[in-house]
Amino acid sequence: MPFPNVRLSNRPLHFIYICDCSGSMAAEGKMQALNQAIRQSLPGMAEVARQNPEARVLVRAVSFADRANWHLAEPTPVDQLDWRDLQAGGITAMGEALELVAGQMQSPPMEERALPPVLVLISDGQPTDDFAAGLGALMRQPWAQKAVRLAIAMGHDADLEVLQQFIGPDPLANLPAGEVPGASGQMPRGMAKSPRRPLQASNATALAQYIQWASTAVVGAASMPASRMAGSSREGNIPLPDLPPTLMDPTDDVGPLVW
Amino acid sequence: MTWILPEGATLRFEGLKEPIQIQRGLGGGSQGQVYAVAIGDEQLALKWYFPACLARDPHLEHRLGDSIRLGAPNNDFLWPMALLRPTPESRQRIQLAEAGFGYLMALRPPGFIGAHAHAGGNLEISLRNVLRASFFLANGFHELHLKGLCYKDISLGNLFLEPTSGRVLICDNDNVDVDGRDLGSVLGTPGFMAPEILLGQARPGASSDLFSLAVLIFRLLTRHDPLKGQLELAIRCLDEPARRRLYGEDPVFIFDPRDPRNRPDPIEHAAALITWPIYPERLKALFEQTFCSGLHQPNRRALTGQWMHAIAQCLDQRVLCPHCQQENFPEPGTPGRCWACGRALPAAVLLQTPVAQVAAAADNSLHPHHFDPVLSHDLHHPLAEVVAHPTDPAILGLTNHSDAPWSADLNDGQRVTVPPGKTCNLSALLRLHTAAGPVEVIR
Repeated sequence: MPFPNVRLSNRPLHFIYICDCSGSMAAEGKMQALNQAIRQSLPGMAEVARQNPEARVLVRAVSFADRANWHLAEPTPVDQLDWRDLQAGGITAMGEALELVAGQMQSPPMEERALPPVLVLISDGQPTDDFAAGLGALMRQPWAQKAVRLAIAMGHDADLEVLQQFIGPDPLANLPAGEVPGASGQMPRGMAKSPRRPLQASNATALAQYIQWASTAVVGAASMPASRMAGSSREGNIPLPDLPPTLMDPTDDVGPLVW
Repeated sequence: MTWILPEGATLRFEGLKEPIQIQRGLGGGSQGQVYAVAIGDEQLALKWYFPACLARDPHLEHRLGDSIRLGAPNNDFLWPMALLRPTPESRQRIQLAEAGFGYLMALRPPGFIGAHAHAGGNLEISLRNVLRASFFLANGFHELHLKGLCYKDISLGNLFLEPTSGRVLICDNDNVDVDGRDLGSVLGTPGFMAPEILLGQARPGASSDLFSLAVLIFRLLTRHDPLKGQLELAIRCLDEPARRRLYGEDPVFIFDPRDPRNRPDPIEHAAALITWPIYPERLKALFEQTFCSGLHQPNRRALTGQWMHAIAQCLDQRVLCPHCQQENFPEPGTPGRCWACGRALPAAVLLQTPVAQVAAAADNSLHPHHFDPVLSHDLHHPLAEVVAHPTDPAILGLTNHSDAPWSADLNDGQRVTVPPGKTCNLSALLRLHTAAGPVEVIR
């Protein structure tokens, strides 16, 4: 006879991509690279969701250019997600995008009980609207304060300062680089890699790695406690997993390949 | 996934005569990646660590070396077999600044499924096999602790189950350490960690293993978390500080007889309320012991041998409800009602051995420990198993799994021989004479 048809109760985990679709994303295949990176990451994300009985992983996406819009408005279980390509064109209404997300970071529409949401902001440029107002609106929402906020800078023109403001202050900023958890050698622009700083994707491979890391390792960490090491960082309300290791790519130092 | 070892390549490792072919990546986690590899004709698995993991855990190589020397506690562990460091030529083919090292182990055989699938309700498995899995898990820890080792980081993530047999595989054995030596960095996984470890008041060892073992057995038997009740419902955002409160600062067992603050919610925590009444008091008492007084007093936690004894006894009590066929574990001598359909359970036919009573229900079995109280509990080598007749499941028989014939006294005074591999009809049977001892049928 089968085990009774019961299961562990679970909580929703809202994962929201906030994607820059400004005109500059059309250049050098960046938009296609982002669409591909997200699409390629979905099977791994579905697998993590399946292995985390305590979480119901639900994905949404906001796109911003001249205006911000819900690209995927319905919180969608990751195994049912069919990624529709983002299209580039326009300016960079990043502030409005954050306001749009802010509207969803309160209960209701958020559930009474949930896991910390994961917000991933991806941009290649500077906001053209009132970013501070958008960030202010977002950070007034309790669920946004609890959220794991990550940022990916595409190429070298992204505004790292606003991305860092979105993430929040890096508690490790004053540590010597060697002591940064997750730092694995390479230090772009003299900074140690840390998930609490904007992740700089200078080529399509790095972008795909970061998107995959956010959609699997971070989703795992936010939905189910991970194995804990002595001396591991205590910053934030969710300990972030190590960034993917830096691979020895002979093309690393020659600058962007695709853009 | 970006693989750090070149798929398809053949690499050489220090101290190893034969090269290893990296066949394909199997998976990756936060610590490293696992590959299917071949050495000659032998198929094995290779785990390769990320540099960040090695940097955090300076004693990993030392511990792995000790584990490899000591050998696996039993066959239920996917145990490290050899530590591998690449030769200078092969090092260049590994795409990391510091190549680091890895270890070889057996491949996980097909048919074993992550214990998460069970917790998530996505696994068809019988209560018998869930209990057997719990027994094998306790037995694995028993053997591990007897070797003077401790595991430190057991959770649903490193346990695999074979749903058709209840067999288990305990994986990720790289945190195993000599108990008390503390040559390790891992603390455990919140939700499975003992409170004193989560709060930083002690380092993980055999006594915190006992807490984690009880959590894991509870989660297998109930598909629920022993500390998630009303106190969890009061938490809006379940993040690390909230988990610290729930599992470390103010943990309360959901069925604590003296502290009702954390009772399960009938809707949110239905799994616990449905499954808890299924199990016999003796087994439930071990959870109470570990999750009430044992929460803060590590020496009060139920021991591996106690779990093995209580779970084996629960399996001996197993009967099938004649009305709904559901598995039940009534206390011996008490009539009881089926937990699933609520109807009365008839008194079971019992197999009486010199030291135990086993209910005659299909798939129940007699083991050497049923005949000799000195033998430790072992469910891998049955001497006899109750089987249903292939065409009429109402007819039960007893199959001889020993290597010696039995002589059987039947109701009509006849005496027949039951050779190894053969089955005798239980309804005709009065008593058996086996090499291990007599078996009396009590109706």
